Amino acid sequence: MTWWSVVRFAHVMGAALWVGGQLTVSLVVMPLARRLLDDGRRATVMRAVGRRFGLFTAAVFLPVQLGTGVALAWHKGVTWASLAEPGYGRILAAKLALFCAVMATAALHGWASSGGRPALARAAAVASLVGSVGVVLLATALPAT
Amino acid sequence: MATEIRIEKAPPGPPPGPVRHRASWHLRANALVVAWLAATVAAALAGDGLPAPRWLLIHLFLLGAVSTAILIWSEHFTVALLRARTPEPRGSLTRLGVLNAGSAAVLYGVAAGPWPVAAAGAAAVVAVVLWHAAVLAGLVRRALPGRFGHVVGWYAAAAGALAVGGTLGGLMTAHLAHGGMHERLHAAHAQVNLLGWVGLTVLGTLFTLWPTVLRTRMSERTRRASRTGLRLAACGLVLLTGGLLADLRVPAAAGLAVYAAGAGAALVPLAEAVRARRPHTGASWMLAAGVAWFEVSLIADLVIVAGRPTEQVAAALEPLVPLVLAGFVAQVLLGSLLHLLPAVLGGGPARFKQNAALLERGWPVRLAALNAGVPLLALPVPEPLTLLGWALVLASVAAFVVLAVAALVRSAAQGHPGRRAVASPALAGVVAGCLLTAAAVVVAVTEDTGPAASVTATGARTVEVTLSGMRVRPSVIEAAPGTVLTLRVTNADGQRHDLRLATGERTPMLAAGQSATLTLAPLGEAVEGWCTVAGHRAAGMTMRIVPLAALARAGTGHGAHDPAGQARSSDGGTAGGTDSDGTAGGTGGTDPGAPGLDPAAPFSPGWRPYDAALKPAPGGTEHAVEIRVDDRTVLEVAPGVRQRMWTFNGTVPGPVLRGRVGDVFTVTFVNGGTVGHGIDFHAGANAPDTVMRTIDPGQRLTYRFRAEHAGAWLYHCSTMPMSLHIASGMYGAVIIDPPGLPRADREYLLVSGELYLGEPGGDRQVARLREDRPDGWMFNGAASGYDHAPLKAKAGERVRIWAVAAGPGSGTALHVVGAPFDTVYKEGAYLLRSGDPGGAQVLDLAPAQGGFAELVFPEPGRYPVVDHAMRRAEAGAHGLFEVAAR
Repeated sequence: MTWWSVVRFAHVMGAALWVGGQLTVSLVVMPLARRLLDDGRRATVMRAVGRRFGLFTAAVFLPVQLGTGVALAWHKGVTWASLAEPGYGRILAAKLALFCAVMATAALHGWASSGGRPALARAAAVASLVGSVGVVLLATALPAT
Repeated sequence: MATEIRIEKAPPGPPPGPVRHRASWHLRANALVVAWLAATVAAALAGDGLPAPRWLLIHLFLLGAVSTAILIWSEHFTVALLRARTPEPRGSLTRLGVLNAGSAAVLYGVAAGPWPVAAAGAAAVVAVVLWHAAVLAGLVRRALPGRFGHVVGWYAAAAGALAVGGTLGGLMTAHLAHGGMHERLHAAHAQVNLLGWVGLTVLGTLFTLWPTVLRTRMSERTRRASRTGLRLAACGLVLLTGGLLADLRVPAAAGLAVYAAGAGAALVPLAEAVRARRPHTGASWMLAAGVAWFEVSLIADLVIVAGRPTEQVAAALEPLVPLVLAGFVAQVLLGSLLHLLPAVLGGGPARFKQNAALLERGWPVRLAALNAGVPLLALPVPEPLTLLGWALVLASVAAFVVLAVAALVRSAAQGHPGRRAVASPALAGVVAGCLLTAAAVVVAVTEDTGPAASVTATGARTVEVTLSGMRVRPSVIEAAPGTVLTLRVTNADGQRHDLRLATGERTPMLAAGQSATLTLAPLGEAVEGWCTVAGHRAAGMTMRIVPLAALARAGTGHGAHDPAGQARSSDGGTAGGTDSDGTAGGTGGTDPGAPGLDPAAPFSPGWRPYDAALKPAPGGTEHAVEIRVDDRTVLEVAPGVRQRMWTFNGTVPGPVLRGRVGDVFTVTFVNGGTVGHGIDFHAGANAPDTVMRTIDPGQRLTYRFRAEHAGAWLYHCSTMPMSLHIASGMYGAVIIDPPGLPRADREYLLVSGELYLGEPGGDRQVARLREDRPDGWMFNGAASGYDHAPLKAKAGERVRIWAVAAGPGSGTALHVVGAPFDTVYKEGAYLLRSGDPGGAQVLDLAPAQGGFAELVFPEPGRYPVVDHAMRRAEAGAHGLFEVAAR
């Protein structure tokens, strides 16, 4: 147990909360809202949930993940050049790229839902969810640190 | 009258339900064609990454896209022209399904799988076209006599042509024919499929399609032209195919000329139509250009077939294939689809116009690009121009595929409004997410393939590589890491082969007897190599270049005087050297993929067995002989297995020396090899120090000995490690007749030896030598050689079989099945004489022993001569006496 364990704990916890939060919203909140609420109230509730989740993402999740992630990479001795090497570096690079893509899709989701494009918003939300599961997959593929 | 071929005009007054069904059936079927076209474009872009890239490209296009299109459209046109009732859709769908499954099986079987998959696929394709022809014939029989019935004859003839061509293709996948026959099969397959299946279909269709596309009347002379044309074309095709298969050049060329005349006759009414109305749409221009390329390729084809032997036709046609495929077939297909797809997609006049406009978008540019690209593919222009040609052609085809997919998707969406719900945003999101993840995973697991660039060169070595009998010899090349290998690749087969390495180096396609040289980057990782001719990789034409760290260690440990990276120091090699080597080799003790011997397989054409017939001793008591080491000889040591051997005078065993007791032999021993060698005559009595010393390449010595004793004696290379030198082929026999040796009717000599596959001195051979695990056994340097070239004798003749066991590890228990020995002489003494009451069944020889046995064959027949240690007999120590009646 060192302080690095705490940093790693924060990084894993952040990811779990973010992916878990998305799954909860998509698999639990959305279907129930669709069944129990009428159209108007459902739109209000879902917009509120989305806004709160977006706020959480921007204010907590992103800073924590970026901060702990960069720290862990520095601790591990990752350099820009090593990101291109097969093995750890290449997997990490792929994971970062996929993470960026997921964040872009999440942003697209936010923009589409506020812009009144529900189909695009939903597609982006699901793509972001599937992509973040992919990020977790690549994280588990990283050789143990 | 303008012949309108439109789905909407389907006869006779069916209820609305079935019409919709049929339209959607065509829609789906044409989606298959578009999918095959897309696969073709993808295969062209993937290029050398695929196995048998050229074959795949041709067959994805012709067997996939074109055959599917022909099956769909020839049936559709037949129905429309005869005004017949549509055949059972289930049957049509089944045919289409089986054709596509068969095509997929052929593509998979040839490119990757075992050949029976491909052969089964070919059989399915042949069965489908025969069924298709039967359906068409049934439609004609049931239809009322009409103006267009003649067209169906073309379709039926085309189907017959594919049945023949598909059968030929199936035979080729089974590798039943070799050498020249294979090439003739190939030529006939290509001609009958392209000129028959594709050519006849296109010509038949154009009779009605061409006036429709031009929106003009059909010429009055059409029917007569059609009948004459079909008769000529069909007869010509039969003559051409038969001539090619039977190796008759003149009938083949005449057949092609007759076919061309038939095609010309059929094109006369089409030319008349052009005079009435000039082409004005994309479809008409593309069809016209396609027919023009057809004429060009027919003329070129005629020149080729008339101008060279039939077995060279297939190779000469090779450069013509892109022209036919892109210029004629692809263009006609695109032109027809351009005209027909809007009609198939249906949806009323407005929708028809919209779709037609979409498909014809930018057609002059596409037409120009395609036809500018085609000549670049066929002409011998520099590489960049050929690539430009491909880019132009593929861009044009890809543009059509994109537009057609757009039109298909649009129609599908409009035709089935419910389908939009299926493509929900959630599904789209899942697909997008999965694609993103998959892309990331691919990036994550990609390994670099280019570390070889960082390997520093440590030496150079040239290896002779032979392509023959579906094998690459040697199948494993072992070298120290960093060795710069130069492969001199020779095609010793009767058919064409090439060699491609996974690192990208490749030889051009080599005709029989041609050679090419490949120089590789310094060896880093193991490299695979294979022949890219379709099916040859699956049939076992593969090789492997293996870097061996062990070799590098062994080399440096002994002063690395062998830059060839071979396993050992050959001159003055010590026991220590052998040990360090052997330990290293032992780590790789498993068999690195050398194929097993197949004693029943044929030897390559042109192989000659070592002459086992023993000549009587020459007169005189002084014999002068020159024996020269050649350790670069490539010999066929087992059926289809050619490999480098170390030899005396280029043969295994070396030359036979024969004389009488007291004769003096003066041997001039020349080392013409690449490493040190020596020689040791057991028949002589000399101090080994001088005459048996190892001499360096280029040196010579004189070895003089008096044969004081009778017997069958071994001579062999005297350089350490002798096991390696002997196992690599450096041995021979000295026969000293016992005094008073009676005359025999025939005398044969069999020198038994072990066979180790692989490069002499390579790690594999050394490892197996130390484990005493030969790959096979040989009489006179070839496993099962005399099974394929039996020794002759006649019933009642006295036959004397001399034998020497060269080893190095195993002796022999020589036995002739069906004929006991009445005389046995072994190691200087008679064990049995004819006239004795006893008999003998085996002449047993320990390594390096020799002797003879005599027998009289009782009656005509085939008598096996074997090493009765049966494992050795079954692995090559086996031959035949073919005994004729006296």
